[in-house]
Amino acid sequence: MLIRDAFKTALRSLMHGMMRSVLTMLGVVIGIASVIILMSIGQSAQDLILNQVQSIGSDLIIITPGAPANGKFSPPASAQGIIVTSLKQNDVDALQREPAILYAVPEVRGQADVVYGNNIVTEGYTGSTQDFFLVSNLAATAKGQPFAKSDVDSGNHVVVIGPDLATTLFGANVDPINKTIRVKNISFRVVGVLGKSGMGAFGVDIGNLVVMPITVAQTQLLGTNFFNVIVTQANASYTIDFVKSRIAFTLEQNHGIHDSNKDDFNIETQADILSLLGNITSILTLFLAAIASISLIVGGIGIMNIMLVSVTERTREIGLRKAVGATDSDILKQFLIESILLTSAGGVIGIALGAAVVGIVYEALTTFASIGWVFAFPISSVALSLAVSGVAGIAFGIYPARQASKKNPIDALRYE
Amino acid sequence: MIEVHNLQKEYLDEETSTLALRDVSFSIKKGEFVSIMGPSGSGKSTLLQILSFLDRPTGGTYTFDGRSIDEMTDRELAQVRNRDMGFVFQSFNLLSRLTVYDNVEIPLLYSNIPPASRPALVEAAVNSVGLEEKLNTEAGKLSGGQKQRVAIARALVTGPAVIFADEPTGNLDSQSGLQIMDILDSLNKKGRTVILVTHETQTAEFANRIVRIRDGKVESDEPIAAHRASGSLK
Repeated sequence: MLIRDAFKTALRSLMHGMMRSVLTMLGVVIGIASVIILMSIGQSAQDLILNQVQSIGSDLIIITPGAPANGKFSPPASAQGIIVTSLKQNDVDALQREPAILYAVPEVRGQADVVYGNNIVTEGYTGSTQDFFLVSNLAATAKGQPFAKSDVDSGNHVVVIGPDLATTLFGANVDPINKTIRVKNISFRVVGVLGKSGMGAFGVDIGNLVVMPITVAQTQLLGTNFFNVIVTQANASYTIDFVKSRIAFTLEQNHGIHDSNKDDFNIETQADILSLLGNITSILTLFLAAIASISLIVGGIGIMNIMLVSVTERTREIGLRKAVGATDSDILKQFLIESILLTSAGGVIGIALGAAVVGIVYEALTTFASIGWVFAFPISSVALSLAVSGVAGIAFGIYPARQASKKNPIDALRYE
Repeated sequence: MIEVHNLQKEYLDEETSTLALRDVSFSIKKGEFVSIMGPSGSGKSTLLQILSFLDRPTGGTYTFDGRSIDEMTDRELAQVRNRDMGFVFQSFNLLSRLTVYDNVEIPLLYSNIPPASRPALVEAAVNSVGLEEKLNTEAGKLSGGQKQRVAIARALVTGPAVIFADEPTGNLDSQSGLQIMDILDSLNKKGRTVILVTHETQTAEFANRIVRIRDGKVESDEPIAAHRASGSLK
């Protein structure tokens, strides 16, 4: 039997039971649509995160306290809630003397109630130097200006806040500049409101940021003398890898470390962070797609079930076809093609449905929520979905097709 | 064309064995019209199934056009069924949702005949049974007599040398039955071998020879003239 004829015969059989065919493929439609939607959303989330990390600048190198993971898939110790005190002011001073480094900006972080009048918001706060605004691309303020070196040196109680927090605390009609807010019951004068909102690096909510001089944060809010992170900006005349090696050398000297395997700090370039984030989001996307593929398996089992029913119902047809010359392989081919057509059609409809849902989600998020959602519809997910639906057709159709092909023509012709 | 010698068919299950055919021997020449008659359970349908390559004997020999069934693979048997044999069943076995054209085309799908040649062959076969105006009608909408004529067209479409008909008039009224037998008779007169299984004397009389089977054995094998002379057909 020619493949063309097998397709024609299979298609005709499916068209005659149109409603049944549609209902049968519904499971595959939902399964493929779920995979498409989750892979697309995963890709969008990945693009969004990576774009935001990239927006910090490709010349930033982040130093966190604690031993590096040495290639293991693990966050640094400081990010696991372990207090590591290895990064101190003398490290910042030494790094600032290094010609390969433009800026070395220490940061400390905490969380506290931020109060203005009767408005209380629990927010994370950051203590840093005046250079924080430069390296974070936040120097352009909407109102007022960032605090200055003199504020850091003198330990002035001044803060710069994000625009969303400003609205929450002061409302839309009150100018926050020179108003006094309390952070952990300590008064601060608002000197600036940041010019942009949204998500920043490491999931920092810029719109709700509270930034104060690091001297005040360390001595009066946290009572510590170490840093949570040092952000360095490389001198453009040097390669990132060279700067990274200089940072390691400087800190090892400062900490008296002679074996780099015993480093008590972790250096990550933007490429490292992008790679790590990329890995995390890829794994997350694959995990979600794997969950979605369960519905694909359920859909496939549904197809196998209906194909088995179809084989039984069409026993006499099988007997007739065999009597007039069909071989076992002709019958196998016909039923297998029916199954592949069902799953492939389900795959195509599922892709279209998935694309529609992804488009609606994109429109909704960009229209109603002010986050920089990226429309991502990876071609790889379309190719994968088509391949998976085709393979599902073979995997779930082979058993019913074999059952059909093995029927004895005499028994089949007698079947009532 | 067909030669069977000491043919046996034994059905085995876990506890018992049933000998459906025993020591059946006869031959059929090209162009003959043979009726196989016998009461229910006599083995006539089993014999037809073996003669038409739908089943294999468990003993004896069967040669078709000089080739023994024992030497042929299942695929070869299917090829011979498609190329050299046509089938007419009591219950028509048409696919009711397909048109007359599509039903008649089915054997061609499994042949080596190129797709471009098929329409002419289908139309010629349908014309030969007088149903040209029903070519695009769904088979399920035809009368019983028309359905059997479509079944005959399907049996003819590959140009087989022999037509096997298993109780072809069993589901038809007498007039339609007569029309079907006239068609089979005219096909035989044009040179096709027709092998008919029936228990109806009136139908069997169209043949020029009757083989009677009883309890799996050939009881008699005589020309129709001998039956008429002895009055055994009444």
